[in-house]
Amino acid sequence: MIEVSGLRKTYGDFAAVVDSDFAVDDGEVFGIVGPNGAGKTTTLKVIAGLVEPTDGEVTVAGFDAGDSEMRRHLGFLPEESPLYEEMTALSYLRFFADLYDVPREVADERIGAALDRLELDHRERRLGDVSKGMKRKVAIARSLVNDPDVLVYDEPASGLDPVTTNSVLAFTRELRETGKTVVFSAHNLYHVESVCDRVAVMNEGRIVARGSVDEIRERHGETTYRVFTDVEPTATAALADLDATTEAVGDRFRTAVPSMDAVAAVREAVADAGGEVVDIRSREPSLEDVFLDIVGRPMPGRYTGDRGGDSLGVERNSDSDESDEGDEGDETSATATEATE
Amino acid sequence: MTDRLRRAARRLAVSVRRVLRVARWESARASGGVDRRTLAAGVALLLVAGGVVGVGVATGVAGLDVDRDVYRVGVDAESPYADAIEAEPSLRAVPAGTSSLGDSADAVVVTVVRPGSVDDETVDAADVEDVIVRASDTRKGEAAAAAVREAVEAHNERLMRAEPNRTAAFPVTVTLRYVGRTTGFDDGATLGGSDGGSTGGSTDGSADGTGGDGSGDGGSDDESGVADGGTGDGESDGADAGGTDSGDGAAESDGSDGLLGVPSIGGAAFGADTVGSPGSITPPFPFTSLLLAFVFLVPMNFLIQAYGSSILDERTNRRGEPLLVTPLSPGEIVAGKTLPYAATAAVVTTLIAALVGGGALSVIAVAPVAAAFLGATFVGAMFARSFKELTFVTVGVSVLLTTYAFVPAIFTNVTPVALVSPLTLVVFDLQGEAVSAGEALFSTAPMAVGAALLFGLGLGVYREEDMFSQKPVTRKFLDALAVRLSPVSVGSGLLDRGLLRALGAVALLTACTIPFVFVAELLAVAVLFALPVTVSIPVLLVSIAFIEEVAKSIALYAGFERGVFGRTDGVDAGEGRGGDGGTLRVALAVGIASGTGFFVAEKVTAVVQAVGLTDLFLGRAAFADVAGLSGLPPLALAALFFAPLALHVATTSVASVGASRGRTAYAVALTLATLGHAAYNVGVVSLG
Repeated sequence: MIEVSGLRKTYGDFAAVVDSDFAVDDGEVFGIVGPNGAGKTTTLKVIAGLVEPTDGEVTVAGFDAGDSEMRRHLGFLPEESPLYEEMTALSYLRFFADLYDVPREVADERIGAALDRLELDHRERRLGDVSKGMKRKVAIARSLVNDPDVLVYDEPASGLDPVTTNSVLAFTRELRETGKTVVFSAHNLYHVESVCDRVAVMNEGRIVARGSVDEIRERHGETTYRVFTDVEPTATAALADLDATTEAVGDRFRTAVPSMDAVAAVREAVADAGGEVVDIRSREPSLEDVFLDIVGRPMPGRYTGDRGGDSLGVERNSDSDESDEGDEGDETSATATEATE
Repeated sequence: MTDRLRRAARRLAVSVRRVLRVARWESARASGGVDRRTLAAGVALLLVAGGVVGVGVATGVAGLDVDRDVYRVGVDAESPYADAIEAEPSLRAVPAGTSSLGDSADAVVVTVVRPGSVDDETVDAADVEDVIVRASDTRKGEAAAAAVREAVEAHNERLMRAEPNRTAAFPVTVTLRYVGRTTGFDDGATLGGSDGGSTGGSTDGSADGTGGDGSGDGGSDDESGVADGGTGDGESDGADAGGTDSGDGAAESDGSDGLLGVPSIGGAAFGADTVGSPGSITPPFPFTSLLLAFVFLVPMNFLIQAYGSSILDERTNRRGEPLLVTPLSPGEIVAGKTLPYAATAAVVTTLIAALVGGGALSVIAVAPVAAAFLGATFVGAMFARSFKELTFVTVGVSVLLTTYAFVPAIFTNVTPVALVSPLTLVVFDLQGEAVSAGEALFSTAPMAVGAALLFGLGLGVYREEDMFSQKPVTRKFLDALAVRLSPVSVGSGLLDRGLLRALGAVALLTACTIPFVFVAELLAVAVLFALPVTVSIPVLLVSIAFIEEVAKSIALYAGFERGVFGRTDGVDAGEGRGGDGGTLRVALAVGIASGTGFFVAEKVTAVVQAVGLTDLFLGRAAFADVAGLSGLPPLALAALFFAPLALHVATTSVASVGASRGRTAYAVALTLATLGHAAYNVGVVSLG
């Protein structure tokens, strides 16, 4: 449904998006995630035909991005929802339906359905007098008045309260069930993880990872093991090679290592010190961990004048996981025996 | 072919429908943005204003004069001046025989009859030896005497106008004096060259044209006043005639004699030396018509406030972003948003025209002014970064366009330069004078085309990248120009289609500056017209050179500055974006294209000849390269015809090379180009 090939967008010397390639299938919810300034919004605006790419090709529903006919198949929700505040929600949505040549009866039906689903009341109230969450819902409803095949949502739940956020995310999930293709950007990883089928991670204008959430987690995150001992392990050569660090946690000591082989090395070191392993916990990486792992290091080639370096290469960030026991992540506990078996 | 036409018609219909939809919603939005109290206050204000105007109009129609019957004047019913007194509303005639000066009369008209000429009770003009107005020795008496004098003058004027033999009524004395031709700038005698016979009058002031109309012999003799009702004084000098205001009719009557109906500059009723610049004449100020014409401009100032706010409102907080992802083009959106305001301007203009007695010509003349107001405001609102900046923009637009429209119109009855302003057509219309199609076109076309180009300029930045950014005005202006350009690849062969298209875009963009150049130059002429020729001509030549050099090179600077054309530190060291050639070659290529485009467009606008502006010395100086090429051998004619092409190509190339190297280099190159161009202009004027 969406094909992005060699996309590049520069503003003067500044490269907002560099050599981006990805495709979004029909009925898929595709997430673009990255820190502020990563190029997410620019990418979405190019897809929506708002911004002309400096280089590369973007097609949506078989049309070039920006093509007038393409816009009939597209619904766009910008990051902010400034509306015509002197209009009511109903008249505002009818206005946009009018621009898409939607007959009044059909428009009213669609508008009513969308507003019902989004639980938006006060349809005759001036938009200047309604809350931010309601404005966001009106903006979402606006993106649907032309019954588009493709929806491009830029930070749809940004700045909303938890209830409205959940409502918006649930609505986005429902869109997938109705066959809509959704491209969705967020810097809140929970939003992406809970809604998207596939994800592209952007950093400094480049896509640095892509795939399903699980694939990315598998590819870029690694399970870590935390070995809890009653004494501090002896600083053996094996531990030095692992670059393992030990810290005191209460009356115990915690040593984080990347593999079960390393756990054995910790066990030997603790035995040398006269102690023993009291607990071993494994921790699955969250998308947040993966994200921090990926973007924690500045990527080369930010400026057009410097395109050198392997931009897609991902280097692990050595200090990416310094979390305590209470950190996020899928953490499971095992006895020392279980862990070593 | 038929299918293509059908498709085009369908596209047009769709486009019109979209524009109307946006217009409808824009109207709803605009009205929704005003709360009821404000609306009620506005309506009340309009009603009050309308009431005042209505009362004024009704008063005029009913003849309800507040100064009616102010002075009592004793005059015999048989006196030749009884009619004059009767016709003046401020005077009330009382029988002279029964009136007592200072008691029942403020002034008394005493007719001294030739001895023995009265054979009955009737006294005619031939029997009158003298007329004396005696007034009471009070301020009111003095005023009454002055009013009597003016009433008699007006009465005489009416009688002269009613005279079928206009030559007898307004005798003209022409004194010819031949002077040697000079080429210097001090050729003051040629200033009024367009005015035919009146030129001679400028040399010695002895030919007062219609000035000596009988009533204008200097006015009163003393405080008590004597209105000389004698016959026309064809020999009276201009200085004397200058004291009268009886020249309106003369100026109007001369209007049909001038070139293409342009009123003669030599309306000698205002002084014997009434030729040349305003510095040497007292213009016949068409006060009433001008004031009424100004009324047309007043609503524009309010309209652009609302329009500018609406455009900027789209840009505030990205409010208009969702519109940009609809199937509508930016042109359709802007047209739809502009239509309600343009329609309002049209309706208001028509109403004003109906109220002040103007016709279709007034409406036609004001239309491009309204378009220019809206166009300039649109560009300003697209460039402004805040409502504060928009305020400066709208005030600037108001002042500039009002000045441009109003000031030249002051000289409606003086010089064809006044036709620079469409408002001059309104003044003509209100004065009931005919205007040729050429004059109407000359007066309205530059502003109309300029307005269209302003909208085009603003549309260049009606896109996400510029609409919602806080770029400085200069950068947005450059963006608006650069967006119309394409990369130039000089290494791909001269006949490469892409290269030709890119250079064509450069030429077209430069050609589009012609209306602005034209307007700027005409404005320069209008402004400098008031100065002595020895000062105005050199300043004008340099000003025109600068205006044209900026017009030819600013788009090129934008192209280099915004990265459409490649720019490197060293000449021939870099590659143009999308091009293979060096920067110097790109700069020369676009410079040649721009100069050529300007030359072609300049030739197309030879319309200045059609209204005789080049007959005016200053006009000749400004537009000499499109006029006065007759009487030369073909080869010289061709050389002269193409000389401007060489000039434009050369100077623009210089400026372009500077533009390719940065702002400072561009400024230096532009200065050099301007000086070269000014030298060329001086040469042309000297040869001419």
